[in-house]
Amino acid sequence: MSTHANPLTILLRILFGLLILGFVYIIWPYISTVIVMLVFAFLFTTIMLKGTDFLERKIRNRGLSVFIISGTLITVIVVFFAGFASGFMEQVQDFSQRLNEENTVSTMNTTFHKFVASLPDFVKDSFPQNTNFADTLKSNIGQLLESVVAFAGAIGSFIFTSIMVFIFTIILLHEYYNFKRSFATLLPNRYFEIGLRLIYNIEKQVSNYLHGQLLAAGSVAVLSIIGLFILNLLGANITMVIFIGIIAGLANLIPLVGPFVGMIPAILIVFMNNLGSDVAVAHTLFGVIPSPFFIFDIIIMFIIVQQIDNNFITPILVGDSVGLHPMVVMIALLIGGTLLGPLGMLFAVPAAGILKVIIQEVRFVSKNAHLL
Amino acid sequence: MKNAFWTNIFNRWNTTENETVLTLKQVPVFRGLTKREYREVEKLIHERTYKPEETVFKENAPGEGMYIILSGKVEICMNGSDPNKNILAELGNGEFFGELSLLDDDIRSATAVSVDHSRLLGFFRPDLFSLLERNPELGNKLLLNLARVIGKRLRKTNDLLTNLQKG
Repeated sequence: MSTHANPLTILLRILFGLLILGFVYIIWPYISTVIVMLVFAFLFTTIMLKGTDFLERKIRNRGLSVFIISGTLITVIVVFFAGFASGFMEQVQDFSQRLNEENTVSTMNTTFHKFVASLPDFVKDSFPQNTNFADTLKSNIGQLLESVVAFAGAIGSFIFTSIMVFIFTIILLHEYYNFKRSFATLLPNRYFEIGLRLIYNIEKQVSNYLHGQLLAAGSVAVLSIIGLFILNLLGANITMVIFIGIIAGLANLIPLVGPFVGMIPAILIVFMNNLGSDVAVAHTLFGVIPSPFFIFDIIIMFIIVQQIDNNFITPILVGDSVGLHPMVVMIALLIGGTLLGPLGMLFAVPAAGILKVIIQEVRFVSKNAHLL
Repeated sequence: MKNAFWTNIFNRWNTTENETVLTLKQVPVFRGLTKREYREVEKLIHERTYKPEETVFKENAPGEGMYIILSGKVEICMNGSDPNKNILAELGNGEFFGELSLLDDDIRSATAVSVDHSRLLGFFRPDLFSLLERNPELGNKLLLNLARVIGKRLRKTNDLLTNLQKG
């Protein structure tokens, strides 16, 4: 059997390929949302697969295992978001109430000017003189609340997308092995075994990466909670410690940028809680560096958590799960961020890992083409 | 009319199930499983069809698993592309080949070519390993059966060696 195609066949194949690419380009705006939903569902399925398989082994019923696992997950998510939302709203209400009290306004202006006066001259000059800090903050808070209302509109579509992702995840979890088998039937005989190898390697790569990242995120959350408790013992007055810790852990899923995002809720809450407190404004780190509202303490605490995570926890838990050079990770993050924003950054590293597996397998196939 | 409708549906369902399961029952690797376990294994099996002269796998290619012949004939040979190829065996319905690849990712020791239009059932190493994790009881049964098959072959090889040394 000859394996060499004639030029006309090659030309036809190229034309056919271009036609498919053009077709995908035209329909992409209509299918992109569904594809993003499916990618999310696949990632959630990969995370929950081991748990579902484990439960299936115990109770010998796939459907019931999927129901228990997805039910538990949805309960945890709902409880977390409801708890966080109610806690945060209480915090914001309390803060805006205090902001409207006249004495708080004057205290705030005094503390702000005291704080500026304590700074070195070259930093002091960068602040505008005779500013009414409270009024500026009030108008900024007003703008922030307007943005929150606008954001609430987007929540509707977010809920719809989440429900769809959840439904896709349940179906994928239940039919995972059947889908995989059906997908394998599409492979031509010649590339069947190599195709199966590719599917299993990609599956392994994504699963290792996600489980490693989740464990690392969990450890960052626990370490952050411990760190925040220690800061509270030093008088930082940080509330919602567990939620802040969990958010820091989740933000950690985005490499490089995530750790900085994780600090923001802690800084916001410590600022809201300590507004008007002279002690908090005059607080110094190690008795030397001025750290109003414990801001630098929080930043240093998160940096320490990151260092512990990067140098001890991640190498043990995640190891060389993706095996990408840090430079490649950075480039992947930049490309992902440019194309899809934070979502792209979240997927950049596993996507680069998948691409690496595909390139490895293609190189293997081209080297051993005579064996296929 | 109602009975005929349901009978037709269940007959069709039973036929497809039985054909695969009946073939699996003939293979020593899958012997002694319960009905439920056969259904579980069936979910992991890949059915493939091959044209006459089509290669199933080539000698020295990395192996991923074993094949069971559902229908048709498969030739196992050395130097498959050579006109003077050395045919080792011609296998028919219910027979199997490539089972050593279930245990390691070593290269194939021979080429397998479909002689007729053949329907093969493929059972692959990653599926066996995932089964061992999900259902260790069933996975262990399969491994034990596989060990028996290999043990039997080893004994046969030993006998042949002894006979050669004596002769």
